[in-house]
Amino acid sequence: MIHFDQVSLQYPSTRTLALSRVTTEVARGEFVYLIGHSGAGKSSFMSLLLKRALPTEGEVRVAGEPLNRYRGGRVSVLRRRMGIIFQENMLLPQLTAYQNVAFALRVTEAPRVSSLGTWNERVGTALRLVGLEHKRAALPRQLSQGEQQRVAIARAVVGAPALLLADEPTGNLDPENSRDVLRVLERVNESGTTVLVATHARELVESRRHRTLTLRRGELVRDDAEGGYEL
Amino acid sequence: MSLLHALSEHLQSALASMRANLTAVLSTLTTITLTLLVLGAVLLAGQNLNRTLAGLERQVEVAAFLEPGADGPALLKHAEGMAGVAQAELLSPEQVLAEMTRDYPYTAEAAQLAGNPFPATLRLRVTSVDQTRVVAAAAGMLRGVESVEFGAGYVDQALGTLRTLRAAGGLLIGLLLGGTLFSILNAVQVSMYARRGEINVMRLLGARRSFVQGPHLIEGLLLGLGGAALAGIILLPVAGLLSARAAELVPALPLLQGTGPLLTLWLQLAALGAGVGLLGGWLASGRYLRELE
Ligand SMILES: Nc1ncnc2c1ncn2[C@@H]1O[C@H](COP(=O)(O)OP(=O)(O)O)[C@@H](O)[C@H]1O
Ligand SMILES: [Mg+2]
Repeated sequence: MIHFDQVSLQYPSTRTLALSRVTTEVARGEFVYLIGHSGAGKSSFMSLLLKRALPTEGEVRVAGEPLNRYRGGRVSVLRRRMGIIFQENMLLPQLTAYQNVAFALRVTEAPRVSSLGTWNERVGTALRLVGLEHKRAALPRQLSQGEQQRVAIARAVVGAPALLLADEPTGNLDPENSRDVLRVLERVNESGTTVLVATHARELVESRRHRTLTLRRGELVRDDAEGGYEL
Repeated sequence: MSLLHALSEHLQSALASMRANLTAVLSTLTTITLTLLVLGAVLLAGQNLNRTLAGLERQVEVAAFLEPGADGPALLKHAEGMAGVAQAELLSPEQVLAEMTRDYPYTAEAAQLAGNPFPATLRLRVTSVDQTRVVAAAAGMLRGVESVEFGAGYVDQALGTLRTLRAAGGLLIGLLLGGTLFSILNAVQVSMYARRGEINVMRLLGARRSFVQGPHLIEGLLLGLGGAALAGIILLPVAGLLSARAAELVPALPLLQGTGPLLTLWLQLAALGAGVGLLGGWLASGRYLRELE
């Protein structure tokens, strides 16, 4: 699903080498943690996948396609195939939970009816997946931080992406909400979506073990199939 | 999604965003209205000026004095076919004398003493003032033409004034359109900035560029059209009154009259407003998105 081949990323503005000769692969259907200290390059790894940054060296491929094929307007095609969540949930404050999820369908101009169901059905399914069908009419400020993050996950997966990227998804959450969010991400993974979670939350990585990639100052230093938190 | 559906969605989105930035929208609309008002006045003045000049142009003549014994009718035929000549007329010496006597009665006495001094004359009307020199030169080359005369000073002055006025008008129109464009650029930037959170999320979710830009194209269009409509509502009655009044005072001025030309002007303003509005919306939203990448 994801291929990094000798990928380096140096930000031109600061000349910071954020990633250095990273080579790795994530197969379809995997659940993978990406861990490392702050500044280790986790977000940069995600940025390359989203084409928010371009590698200075090496090649990044998603589903077999080199990302440099996605130029200009095609970047939106790439992003539609991925779900994204960040530490900040970026929900639109004036929209209800339901509307926030439907927003993803609206702005990507998804067909009103498709093999995946009507918009209404798809939003309902996504909200059920994150356990918030009963809060569909709530505005973000009427939800807890954990619930807001789960709405953001529903918004990320309503377009049925093959890949879900989560950058510090529990960064703003207490342990209990963090576990809820992680369980939701696992459920998304069980439905067939490849999930990549960047985090530096030790409890999380140790409580629910999955393959773990460890970055240190831009270098990929560990790849544990069994998981484990060691920086 | 059908085109109509997408359009109505963009329109709703544009209206919502304009409602949210009402102060900015009203200030932009005022600026655009005033700018287009001046633009409309300049266009109107330009049209009237052109009509007046065209009237004057039609009165510019080149006189070619023929040698004694020249074949007048043949020269007339030839002159009628020359480039830049709108109309040609052959006057016999007697006709010239009669005209001169009418304008300057003492000429008659002089003619009685010394005989008719006037040669047969070809009188040429030019198609436009700037053709005068060309026509005069060509007529002067004809065999049987003794000499040529035209109001050189008058023609050159008219041409100079005409060129200056046209250049000034063009510059003014350019500046006014530029002003309108900048107001719209600014307004669209403000409204995109106001919904930057939403736009950011849209881009990350994979919205197409055109989907994000659509409402702002419509916003620019509405601002341009709205400004043109308001400018027309103010300008048209005033222009109508003024030209009616001017026609009473100076009936000889060939001013535009009636509602037809004024409505045409309004349409022109609307087309300019719409064009500049779309362009502004497109440029501003495109630039904003490029900066976001
Ligand atoms: N847009 C940017 N421009 C310049 N330097 C950046 C940018 N983003 C991140 N960096 C630098 O790159 C390095 C890796 O950052 P990041 O990928 O955000 O790490 P992490 O997500 O693991 O905390 C850091 O040194 C950071 O300062
Ligand atoms: Mg980070």
